[in-house]
Amino acid sequence: MVSRAAAAVRTRPRREREQEVLVWPDLVFIEFISALIFSIALMVLSAMVNAPLLNRADPDTTPNPSKAPWYFLNLQELLLHMEPAWAGVIVPTIALVLLAAIPYWDRDQEGQGVWFGTKFAGRLAIFGFTAATLITSLLIIWDGSLHVVWTENIIRGLGLNSDFSWPGGLDWFRNLRGFDTGIPWDSLGFTIGGFTMFADWRAIPLGIPGTTTDPWLLNLNFPSFLSQQIIPVATMVGLPVLFVLFCKALGWIHTRRDIALLIFSAFIGVYLTTTIVGTAFRGQGQDLKPPWDIVVLEE
Amino acid sequence: MANLERAPRKSFNDLIYDLIFKNYVWQSIFRTGYPNTPRNQMLAVATNVFLHLHPTRIHRTHVKITHTYCLGGLSFFMFLGLTVTGVLLMFYYVPSVERAYQDIQALEANVRFGQLLRNMHRWMAHAMIILVLLHMMRVFYTGAYKPPREFNWVVGVVLFILTLLLSFTGYLLPWDQLAFWAITVGTTMVGSAPVLGDESKFLLLGGFSVGPNALIRFYTLHVIGLPLVISIFLAVHFWRVRRDGGLARPL
Repeated sequence: MVSRAAAAVRTRPRREREQEVLVWPDLVFIEFISALIFSIALMVLSAMVNAPLLNRADPDTTPNPSKAPWYFLNLQELLLHMEPAWAGVIVPTIALVLLAAIPYWDRDQEGQGVWFGTKFAGRLAIFGFTAATLITSLLIIWDGSLHVVWTENIIRGLGLNSDFSWPGGLDWFRNLRGFDTGIPWDSLGFTIGGFTMFADWRAIPLGIPGTTTDPWLLNLNFPSFLSQQIIPVATMVGLPVLFVLFCKALGWIHTRRDIALLIFSAFIGVYLTTTIVGTAFRGQGQDLKPPWDIVVLEE
Repeated sequence: MANLERAPRKSFNDLIYDLIFKNYVWQSIFRTGYPNTPRNQMLAVATNVFLHLHPTRIHRTHVKITHTYCLGGLSFFMFLGLTVTGVLLMFYYVPSVERAYQDIQALEANVRFGQLLRNMHRWMAHAMIILVLLHMMRVFYTGAYKPPREFNWVVGVVLFILTLLLSFTGYLLPWDQLAFWAITVGTTMVGSAPVLGDESKFLLLGGFSVGPNALIRFYTLHVIGLPLVISIFLAVHFWRVRRDGGLARPL
């Protein structure tokens, strides 16, 4: 029994000498030049742009907005849309584990060593990236209630109704929390026979009385659970599945490599979008603002 | 009969060449002559501890810039540059709440090229994160994670995490408002982990909020702990690149 790695080396056609070049000078030269270019570019950048240094740290003065370093702003962005445990820890952990697991799932050796090795790789990458970027932006706009502001402004601006405001019946569609606050949960209780179900959706008893002391097991705030956990997680799992089904229907997906290409590209799209929005479009109180309107206040 | 043929007279250039590359000291250091023949060129790579990271010859497609864009090598180059600038910065910086901020101010105002040094360190750190991300994308889109390189991809993901942690621990050190609140926000996210959240946050900060203990922990991790760990993973990463047959090639 030969290991897969050994088999890979064995089945490779023997290199022809004329296809090879010497590392010195052909590779060493390229490495040297690229290092030189980067050294010069960074030197010029450093001569022109100073690293920021604000006032001395002061635990009593909180800047608004307070932001993590830019490479964690994608997580801080997620934090606005779901339960902190999901956004800050569980989602990134799962994402990294899935990322690391790609080669153990997509094991076919076909298509390595060339850019976009499968027939529809380019389309899958472009579709995954673009669609994920668009959908993420739309979801952020929706959760930021910008659609409410825009609808109101358009209807007022057109003169159709000068004191138009978002209808109360659509409060649940203002943003994600609308599912929590915009629905009359109190009146949604129902009875099965003589048994009354969930007259209080905000305190569904889960724990068996007397068996546990953990308070979080005792009562479940269902509306909050729905908007902060079920919907975000369902979205993060459901959209990739829809992406795969859609591209399968288009006939673009034939191997696991194709699925990996699609999802990875979508991941890059989400990663970039959330990083950019978190960095440049979040002002005071983490409200959505254009970059030029963002000022940091110290409070 | 005596051999009447005399050796041709050496030109001036040859004299200089021999003086530099054929003397006792040079050859004690490099063993081989100047790499101007294929034999010496291969020996130059094979007998040099730094260059022998490379094989002596590689497939011609691997030196095409558009195949790798040098991203992995440049990430490592950033690491080297950050080490050099970082060591220099350590001369001027004391990781105490009383001194940290004024040390940075003094570095910028009083030290010759101090501001440039700090700028270089900062922009290189940002560049390293971007380059590592781009390198990961390059490896993915060229299918270079496929067998037999599965494990090296995992090592790469670990290196990515370590790069973020190195940058994050360095972010606190200037002890200004930007640093303080960014670390406060970042560690609050850690604290929201479901099971060991509060414990992890306490371990990281050495307390319940960002203070002197956090500063010394971040400093120690930043200048010695994480660099040691990332060096080990870098060694494994490079070693595996060689062992798994260099860059991935079509079957």
